[in-house]
Amino acid sequence: MIVIHVLTLAQEIGVHRNTIRNWVKTGRISAKPGPGKGLQFTPDDFARLCRDFNLAPEQLKTMARTLPGGDVPPLATPASPLAPRGQDRPGKMVGAVMVVGGGIAGIQAALDLADSGYYVYLVEKSPGIGGKMSQLDKTYPTNDCAM
Amino acid sequence: MDKCIACGLCAQKCPKKVDDDYNAGMSQRKAIYLKYSQTVPLKYAIDGEHCLYTAKGKCRACEKFCPTGAINFTDTGAVVTVNVGAVILAPGYQAFDPSGIAPYGYGRIPDVVTGLEYERLLSASGPNQGHLLRPSDHKEPKRIAWVQCVGSRCTHTGANGYCSTVCCMYAVKQAVVTAEHTHGDGLNQTIFFMDLRSHNKEFERYVESARSNGVRFIRSRPHTILPGKNNIGVRLAYVTEDGGRTEEDFDMAVLSVGLEAPPDALELAHKFGIDLDRYNFARTSSFTPVTTNRDGIYVCGAFQSPKAIPRSVTEASAAATEAAKALLPARGTLAREKTYPPERKTTGEELRLGVFVCSCGINIAGVVDVEAVADYARTLPHVVCVENNLFTCSTDTQVLIAARIEEFNLNRIVVAACTPRTHEPLFQDTLREAGLNAYLLEMANIRNQNAWVHQKDPAFATLKAKDQVRMAVAKVCRDYPLASMSVPVVQKALVIGGGVAGMTAALDLADQGYPTVLVEKSDKLGGAAWHLNTTWKCEDVRAWLGRLISRVDNHPSIQVLKNARLKSVSGSVGNFASDLEVGGNPMNVAYGIAVLATGGAEYQPEEYRFGQDPRVMTHHQFDAELRERAAMVQQAGSAVFIQCVGSREPGRMYCSRVCCTHSVMSAMRLKELNPDMRVFVLYRDMRTYGQREDLYTRARELGVIFIRFDLENKPEVYQEGAALRIKVMDPILGRPLRLEADYLVLASAIVPHDQQELTELFKCGVNPDGFLNEAHPKLRPVDLTVDGLFAAGLCHHPKPLDEAVSQAKAAVSRAGVILAKAAMQLDAIKSEVTAACDGCALCLDVCPYRAIKLEEYGDNGHARRRIVTDKALCKGCGLCEATCPKEGVTVHGFTHDQLKAQVDAVLEALG
Repeated sequence: MIVIHVLTLAQEIGVHRNTIRNWVKTGRISAKPGPGKGLQFTPDDFARLCRDFNLAPEQLKTMARTLPGGDVPPLATPASPLAPRGQDRPGKMVGAVMVVGGGIAGIQAALDLADSGYYVYLVEKSPGIGGKMSQLDKTYPTNDCAM
Repeated sequence: MDKCIACGLCAQKCPKKVDDDYNAGMSQRKAIYLKYSQTVPLKYAIDGEHCLYTAKGKCRACEKFCPTGAINFTDTGAVVTVNVGAVILAPGYQAFDPSGIAPYGYGRIPDVVTGLEYERLLSASGPNQGHLLRPSDHKEPKRIAWVQCVGSRCTHTGANGYCSTVCCMYAVKQAVVTAEHTHGDGLNQTIFFMDLRSHNKEFERYVESARSNGVRFIRSRPHTILPGKNNIGVRLAYVTEDGGRTEEDFDMAVLSVGLEAPPDALELAHKFGIDLDRYNFARTSSFTPVTTNRDGIYVCGAFQSPKAIPRSVTEASAAATEAAKALLPARGTLAREKTYPPERKTTGEELRLGVFVCSCGINIAGVVDVEAVADYARTLPHVVCVENNLFTCSTDTQVLIAARIEEFNLNRIVVAACTPRTHEPLFQDTLREAGLNAYLLEMANIRNQNAWVHQKDPAFATLKAKDQVRMAVAKVCRDYPLASMSVPVVQKALVIGGGVAGMTAALDLADQGYPTVLVEKSDKLGGAAWHLNTTWKCEDVRAWLGRLISRVDNHPSIQVLKNARLKSVSGSVGNFASDLEVGGNPMNVAYGIAVLATGGAEYQPEEYRFGQDPRVMTHHQFDAELRERAAMVQQAGSAVFIQCVGSREPGRMYCSRVCCTHSVMSAMRLKELNPDMRVFVLYRDMRTYGQREDLYTRARELGVIFIRFDLENKPEVYQEGAALRIKVMDPILGRPLRLEADYLVLASAIVPHDQQELTELFKCGVNPDGFLNEAHPKLRPVDLTVDGLFAAGLCHHPKPLDEAVSQAKAAVSRAGVILAKAAMQLDAIKSEVTAACDGCALCLDVCPYRAIKLEEYGDNGHARRRIVTDKALCKGCGLCEATCPKEGVTVHGFTHDQLKAQVDAVLEALG
């Protein structure tokens, strides 16, 4: 367990200490209050905290106390959380992107990526792409045909 | 799915009819269906929920009749696992369902429809094939009312507090387009609105032209819609601004419904572990507008906040940049190149022409008798196959064209449709896929150059279309295969302007490994953002700006040139070179693309005693005041903001987009400093679009008083003794108010920096207001009209910081498409010098691309001169060919022979 003083964390994130307490209460930060004005984090929760608030884990660790029950784990670079871990291609980044939604935004993102050297999975729930724009008649301000 | 040829037999035989979602439930489709006629992929799909076999276990008619055996009822859904490095969420939005707002009677009164339903009623592929008929009695409506803000800017009856951003403009567009769909007199389009929010590029002029074309605008939110007699038509009850209660009859009412977060937003957020805001839109920061709280997961489009197409497209490109940056080491590991079948040799073959005449829905067919044109085409020489298509650009027609090429062994194609500017690449691709050279194609533009301009004279239009087709046929007979050339790409970038947009673009380019030169004319990076305190999400701009600048300064791949000016530009996309002057010293750079981010400035007002009284200041000045002398500001008894200073008036007919939100933010800050301060905002239309509406609501809760004024009746600012007074007409009280101000803040316009020198160098265009013109306002919002140039930030149009950042990121994505490749294919339409050239050099002066040079050569001991053309620079514009008196230079695809054939063909009609 890692213990960080609530004030330290408030300063690091740049909010009021009560905000931190509220976040703990509402579950936005998962931690256990105590001892004293400290907050207890499991190593996993600590890693998530650093990632969510863009904090430097090494620096934060210097301000933390460690209770029996676990040490601060080294953080994996979170650049591609969905890259397959272990098995088939260990540690290798995947040059593919999934675009969820085949409307005009999804199509444009998919085209740009495919044109710049990435494989794209364009995922659309209906049988055809085009989204809401395909239902429009004309577009403003040029009155061009939306189709 | 591979077997389906989209013949439609299955849908014809299917006995089950279902409401068609695509037409907003206003027409029916079968249980096996195409989503719409141009669907990609063009394959029929079975709607499992309604199919008789999947629901009740019998029928299978489609399976029996399918000629290719494409239907497989044993197929089941499967879970597919894919490995990806990043995810972009673009699930879009859902239209607000107004059935919950009982007083509007949607669902009970047949002639009350939503905006999306009305859109389908207007559409050529809609339930009435583009004939505008109201639902109740299928008669053409004449008096139509639009009710704005249905489901938006409202905090009760299940509606949403934010502004949906797009509805004002879509209502105006629908009102304008309605005029094209109705016949005879008596048309009355009335828009009931609260604030008219036309805050994007060219929107203000669009609204003005709608107004002058008779669209009626009434500032009121109707409280009730009653059914007309026999439940036909509607009666709107509303209160006018002066308090009068009015009822008015209309043939139908359109509810301008807002945009909501997609229905699966919560599920998506849960699955991907991303944060949403209180309205279930994805939460992002102004400084990283497409990045979620989770690395590797990005958002774009209406899921991020309600927005129209250009911003969705811009953000999509921005998200692509973020994903590309994150996966840089893996670029090119999985992508594949498109391959084409080997090209068929057509030389020596007899001419076999295929002519495809497009109806373009009703765009062409509504004016031109396309059947007659098709029949006429059959009589022309060498034509062996003619087709008339509803949309020649649709996927099914591409399949059809390819099939006809094979079936009839066609070797020349004519498409009589719209403009080659937008559609030629599509048809060229179809030809290549069918094994033909892409340049054996001619387009006859019977839409833009015919149906659109001769709407009132169908007989003449049909005659002209025949002429156009005959000309295209004559020319295509003389077309010959051309080979495109490829040029190496300089994989470096030039960014002009060191403001937020320019720095963001430079960083993202450099982060992707492209060496970038950042040119700034002043001695300081940061630009206009230095004047701002916070974004609308209360983020500290100056602290972030400092970090941004230090990243730019320290990036190994960015060369920052301050006090620098561009002196010349040569070359073309992929291969530009420029001379610069940096602090008085000359320098030159080579680059493949350029991002123009020259920024904008605050208009210095001449009105409202600005410059005469120190208490009158602009937003930038007042931000500095709040920053440096907050204690003094706190003492003030009253403050007044005047909106639209220099915007939205003749000479500067655009909305500056940011000032309403800025004033609201500052007004709230004042109330925070001193709750007793009297704060007034004098406005014409409050344009706190999107979730910014919450700020407007909050400001009113805090006691800020908003008073509306008209352009014709602007506030008057005068001095009385030592006091600064403002006189303004209150439209609700109906009498003038006199306010006293300790601070008078003018929300002055954003004006572009003078870009004439730059636009002349790059040969790109600006709009009447001096903002850079994009290649297409909806679909290519960051590309400029010149290939390889991109725009970002205020030089394109006024915009808040988050939008400038996403535009800069989008520019990088668009640039990346060019820079990612070591070589790029050029168009094959290029000039070529013929033997007739005698080196008179007349063409040198006219060439706008400086692609022509003079050279000397020896010919049997005589020194002679002739020109040489640089194929990479040549754009095939044809000026040289037109200038040359002796056919010494020609442009492939537009040779004298080809053009003469066209002219002869058109003169044929005269005998």
